[in-house]
Formats: sequence, structure tokens, C-alpha cells
Amino acid sequence: MNPDTLGALPPGGRGVIASLELPSQERAWVDALGLSPGRSVTVLRRGAFRGPLHVRVDSGAELAVDAELASHVRLAAGAP
Amino acid sequence: MSDHCEAPAEAPREGASQTPTLVLVGRPNAGKSSLYNRITGGDARVGNFPGITVDVLEAPLDHEGRALRVVDLPGLYALAANGDDAETDEGVARRFLDNLAHEKTPTVLVQVMDATCPALGLRLTRDLLARGTPLVVIATQSDVLAAQGRSLDVEALRKALGVDVRVVSARDPDAKPTVLSAALAALDGAPPPRARSFDPDALGREVLRDAPRVDDEALAARARTERIDRWALHPTLGPLLFVLLMGGLFSAVFLVADPASNLVDAAVQALINVVGRRLGDGALRSFVVDGVLGGAGTVLIFLPQIVVLTVAMELLDASGYLARGVFLVDRLFRRAGLSGRAFVPLLTGHACAVPAIAATRIIRDPRERLTAVLVVPLMTCSARIPTYALLLSAFFASRGAWFRAMVFVALYVFGIASGFVASAMLRRSRTRGRTLPLLLEMPRYHAPDARVVARAGWRAAGRFVRDVGTTILAASALLWALLNVPMPAAFDHAGDTHTMPPAVARVHHSVAAGLGRALEPVTRIAGFDWRINVGLMGSFGARELMVGTLGVITGLEDVEDDDGALATRLREIRRDDGTRAYSTATGLALMAFFVIACQCMSTVAAVQRETRSWRWAGFTLVWTYAVGFALAVLTYQTARALGL
Repeated sequence: MNPDTLGALPPGGRGVIASLELPSQERAWVDALGLSPGRSVTVLRRGAFRGPLHVRVDSGAELAVDAELASHVRLAAGAP
Repeated sequence: MSDHCEAPAEAPREGASQTPTLVLVGRPNAGKSSLYNRITGGDARVGNFPGITVDVLEAPLDHEGRALRVVDLPGLYALAANGDDAETDEGVARRFLDNLAHEKTPTVLVQVMDATCPALGLRLTRDLLARGTPLVVIATQSDVLAAQGRSLDVEALRKALGVDVRVVSARDPDAKPTVLSAALAALDGAPPPRARSFDPDALGREVLRDAPRVDDEALAARARTERIDRWALHPTLGPLLFVLLMGGLFSAVFLVADPASNLVDAAVQALINVVGRRLGDGALRSFVVDGVLGGAGTVLIFLPQIVVLTVAMELLDASGYLARGVFLVDRLFRRAGLSGRAFVPLLTGHACAVPAIAATRIIRDPRERLTAVLVVPLMTCSARIPTYALLLSAFFASRGAWFRAMVFVALYVFGIASGFVASAMLRRSRTRGRTLPLLLEMPRYHAPDARVVARAGWRAAGRFVRDVGTTILAASALLWALLNVPMPAAFDHAGDTHTMPPAVARVHHSVAAGLGRALEPVTRIAGFDWRINVGLMGSFGARELMVGTLGVITGLEDVEDDDGALATRLREIRRDDGTRAYSTATGLALMAFFVIACQCMSTVAAVQRETRSWRWAGFTLVWTYAVGFALAVLTYQTARALGL
């Protein structure tokens, strides 16, 4: 897994979204749900058996994010 | 069960009514349905799961002498299509708004926005403003915002958007006049400026003011959710708790409701005795006691089970646990070619398949949604409960309540497992394709509102009593007639009945018995005799009729004694040679058939409505009956071989 993606963050890890590497329609949907570039995300936990991630966005929203989708959310290098 | 869905509102058409229309639009879980209920006094379902409204709801309203139409759309994240097709909840909302653009009806969009998170709602505001339709923004959850010690700078927001903005709490009675006056002012005023350029994130940050004080209540609520999630979503304990919770839910239906059912049963039997004594002997007594009370009255006994199940499901929904369920099962569901989102319709299907099929609209991928539509009928809906409970009482009476409750749970598990197998097969054949990744909002936990939960239980009870009082009553009366009208001699193969009492002989020579007997050569291998066949024919349209039908038949045949419970009478039915007609093997075979067969015309109609195809509706009916019967044969023959 790419170490610079949301999918690679361990529980408790934080990062800032740099880009969404998704087809345009999916990107627009993910963005509309609040997972958009510039947002800071914290991984709260990972589901059992490589299940989804439970993340908190700095807007206050909490989301369940599929592991595959998380691997397409690129984080800014060097961000906290 | 009958159709439980609220009728979806017609999409507006060219030249439709000139009644001014208020359209509530907003992100899922923004509080639209609560506001809709507050404004209309309506009964739209309010849940704590994103996308609980899957239909367009509408209600007429009179405000200060002005006739209005209020419409509640399913949740919508953005106006761009985003790849989903028109049949999802978002697609339904989007299509409705597109149709509005073409019609002449005066319309005002009322965007409901979660005041605690304005940046997210403002993306949709930007899209709505671009349409040029009169718009007013209603920020809800003002009570939560205040509790968090924050406030919304309404004036700055109005200035930035160029439209009116109001802050309300849907719990506050003043919300209704506030929303209506703002909406009508927007409708009667100048259209909003189309080209507003703003950054939703920046504007959201700018208008949300943090008060200096630290709010203990808000922090406590967040800490509470975190504390619960630490257990509920724990990688090991979470799935275990989930299984225990689901098992507890389904066994509670049996264990909690059973004592109440016994009371209703005693009341129905007492009524039968009183009415029977008053009416004396004769056709009228037979019709009322054996036909009406023996049929519809017997089904009524299962009212407590229906109510307990509905209340338990409502508690799960209102608490916010449904989204956690999606999180926990997503990985497992992918094995069957579904995503965690399918958990909600499949769980809802345990109450009734009809609203569950509508709830599949929260699944964004059309092929995954079609799969869910086709497997929802396999979930153990409440209409199966009367038959299961009857068979368990009839054939497992000597076992304890816990044993019967475990069999009951096993039937639920069997239904779910069949759904998974069917889904996996479909996803490898007719509905093959990629499953879209999961992305779902996780709402905070809420203490369920007792009134909302009680209202759901009351509604379920009302629907069940209405079904019993209409469909099941009419079917019981018809069946009584068919069991009393003699089969023409040329088609009557009842054999010698001279040794039987006249009333019993009449039933054996009836049209219904003749039809049931005609199927015996096929159904005998599953242990089904003519009586069960008549029951199965009766329950073709609705499963509950199985119990009613057997109630009428055994009542007319005077099995054992008229006062005995149906389960006892069922055990005592004898063949011509005096041996018992049914064994545990028969009961198990019937259960196997009921797990799979789609004996519900409302469900078939819902499949047709959702897939827009009679082919899929017919497919559902044919394969579930064929596989159900094959399974019944297998169960019966295996059970017999094991000496059951």
C-alpha cells in the first residue's frame, strides 16, 4: 500500500488530504461527503478483517471509509 | 404483509397544480424529516442513519388561508449526478428537482442545513443557487449548536448567499411559522442571484462562531459516543457484540412476546366460547366461530411478536447503531458481492420486505441494488412469525421455551444464509460487476425518543390489525365458503366418508379439499397433505393466511375439541387409518418451505416497482417457490430417515 495514503495511516494517525485519486464522478461524491483536499483527517480505528476505516474529519464529521477507497486518498507529505 | 410504504409523491409534470410548493432539500441526516413532521404534523420516518428517507413524501398544508404543498426529498449531497443512477435515493431527489425546473408550479426550495456543520451544507447551497429557483436556508440543530457553546452568524450568511437564512430547532413549535413565513417571502419576492461565488469551506468557517465557554454537555456527548464505539467497533468484541445483539433481537421477538401472545390467545378462545354459546348450532355459528374467529382471530394472536420486532428495530435505528452495523458487516457482505450499505435493507426486511425493497435505494451501484432487491424477500419478515410460532408450538411443545427460541433464531440465520448464497450466485452471473467502495457518515449515538419508538410500535400494530380485519378476514370467510361448498361429483375423490361425522365428511367433499387433494401426488413427498396444500394456496398472497386457513379447517373438522389451541388441534389431526397426519418432519419441511418461498404479493409488486420489470418479479416468485419446495422435500425425507 502506498505509504502516503489514508489507507496506510495507523489508528490514531493524522494527515491532511492532498488529492483524491479517483474517477471524476466518484471524486465529486467523496468530496461532497466532506473528504476533500485540505481537510485534516484522523484515523480512529480500523474494522475487523481489514474492514473499513473509521475516520474523523476536522469539520467534525465522522465517516466509515472503505480500505480500497482510503488507498486512493493521497495525503500531503510531511503533514502532521 | 400489506404494502407499508408511504405513497411516493408524483414527480411534478408540465402544467401540474398551481398550488405553491415548498420542497425540503438537504444532505442526509440534516433533519429534513423532523422538520417535515413539525411543519405538516406528518409521520415521516425519522431515523439516525444517513438516507433514511428513500421516497418523496408530500403533504397538503393550509397556512394563513393559503393552500400549500410540502415535499420532503430524500437526502442529497450534491446536484451533480456523481455516477449513481436515477433509482438511488439521491437520484430520486435529483430527478424531482430536474422535473421542477420544467414545470410552471410556483416553487420554493427550503434547504435544510445542519447548523453544526455549515461548510458541508454550503456545497449544496451553491448548486441550488445556480438553479435560480427561490431558495431559503433553514439551519437546524440550533439547540445542539447552543449546547456546544457556538452560534451561527446568520447575517453574514444571508449577505454571502443573497437569500434568507433562519435558524430553528425542529423540536421547537415555533419552527413551523418561522420556516413557512421565510419560504413564502422568498416565493413572493425577487428570484435569488444566480451567480454567487463562494468557497463553502471558507464561508462555513467564517459564519460558525465559537463562543469562549467550553461546553460540558457537547464534550460529554462526544465522549459518550467515543466510549460506546470503543466497544461497539472493537475489532474483536465489536463483531461479537453485533452477533449477540442480533441474536438477542430475534430471540426477544419470541421470548418477550410469547407471554403476551398467550394472553391474546386466551382472549380469542374466550370470545370464541362466548360467541359459540350464544349462536347455538348451525351455519351462522360455524361461519362466525370456525370461519371468522378461527381464521382471522387466530392470526391476531401474533400481534405482540410484530410489535416487539418493530420496537426493537426502531431502537436500533434511532440510537445510531445501524451505521455501526454497516461498518462491522461491510467486509463480510463483500463476500456475497454486497457492500455494508445492504445491511440496512436486509435488516429492515426482517420487519417487512416492502419498505426494505424501497430502502435498497441507499445502495448506489445499480447492479448491487438489484441483487439486494432480489434477496430481501429471503429475510425472515414478520409475516412468517405466525406460521413459525404455530409450528414450534405444535411440534416442539415438549421442549422448553429456550429451545424453541433457539430454533426460531436458527430460522432467521437460515434466511440470512440463503440470502447470502443467492446474492453470491447472482453477483457471479446476472448482476456481475464491481461493488462500489463504502463511504458513510457515522452519526453520534442518541437516546431514542420514546414517543417516536412508541409511535412506530403503534403503527405496526395498527397495520397488522387492519390486515387481519380486511384481507385475512375476507380470505378466511372465502375459505370457509370453499370448505362448505361440495366439489362436483365428477371431480370429487374424497373416497368413503360414511364413517365420519357429517360435518367432517362435508369438509372432505368440499371444493377446497378437492383442490388440495389434487396437489397431493406432488406435495406428498414433502409431507404435505390436502389441508396443508389448502393452507399453502391460501397463503399464496400473504403468509399469515397459512395460520388462518389451518384454523378454519381444523375448526370445521372439529379436531380434538373446538376449545383447543390451534397448535394442539394440528397435532391431533388423524389420517383415515387413525394415525397422526403430521409429525415433526412435516413441521420442519413446512418451515423450510416458508424460509424460502416468496408468498407475498405485495413483495412481488414491490420487486416489480423497484426493478421496473415483471421479469424480475416473476423470477423471484418462480425460483423461491421451486427452491422452497425442493428444500421442503429434502428436509422431510431427511427428518423421516432420522426417525423424527
